[in-house]
Amino acid sequence: MDATLQTKPDPGTQAGGCCGCCPPEPTKLTEVTEPAIRLLVDRFYAKVRDDAELGPIFRRTVADWDTHLSTMRDFWSSIMLTSGRYHGNPVTAHRRIEGMTPALFEHWLGLFAETCNELFDEAVAATFMDKARRIATSLNLALFYRPEHDRPRSAP
Amino acid sequence: MTFVVTENCIKCKYMDCVEVCPVDCFYEGKNMLVIHPDECIDCGVCEPECPAEAIFADTEPGLDTWLTLNAEYAQVWPNIAVKREPPPDAKDFDGVPDKFEKHFSPAPGQGDTDGDGAAPPDSPQDEAAP
Repeated sequence: MDATLQTKPDPGTQAGGCCGCCPPEPTKLTEVTEPAIRLLVDRFYAKVRDDAELGPIFRRTVADWDTHLSTMRDFWSSIMLTSGRYHGNPVTAHRRIEGMTPALFEHWLGLFAETCNELFDEAVAATFMDKARRIATSLNLALFYRPEHDRPRSAP
Repeated sequence: MTFVVTENCIKCKYMDCVEVCPVDCFYEGKNMLVIHPDECIDCGVCEPECPAEAIFADTEPGLDTWLTLNAEYAQVWPNIAVKREPPPDAKDFDGVPDKFEKHFSPAPGQGDTDGDGAAPPDSPQDEAAP
């Protein structure tokens, strides 16, 4: 599924380039919609699974990718479209993952930004990234910088 | 970083926020809601949903007292993720000054487990890590 996604042209790709000899300029999505979120989530996690740093952690943690992708679509739909479809506890979920480090959040954000910029125009990509950065910072603080949490931290 | 419920929620308690919160981090007092600062992921979805404009990011100045109150009562009040009817006089109290001194109650609200408040329709997704 992921390999297929990667080889597909971008949505809304225009036929023909500027002069007929260049590759066509992909049209960036300008709206946050459920199909756009699906596209983002599927493409992002295809990258994650191939990523040298994140891939091993996700492969170790995610037992069922179909379920995970569906959950992540619900998550981003709840964040971006206030659909209320996701109900969960990301702090607890991340706390269970062995090998988490603050640097991994940064790496995750880099890959997410890359995917957003491929699919969306500047404004929409910025909206996604604003949310993603806030959530990453919040999870980072919850995992590594709150002394009252019981599990020992693997990073300062 | 977290969002914080402040004074104008008191006696208004519209509960629009609890429906959109993806991490179910709202807790219900008798006449006010609070956010659990350790559970909030700072997504900001709740802030524009509040008709009373009582929710702010903790990065705004002057919210220390409210942050403390949210943290304290989130430990003892019941969780709420399903909206109910707001108080019939909610609009009358919207914007009224000194609500904390005059009306704040430390008593718990009913949360989702009593009355008509069913559990959230979706199954918990605790395993889901973005």
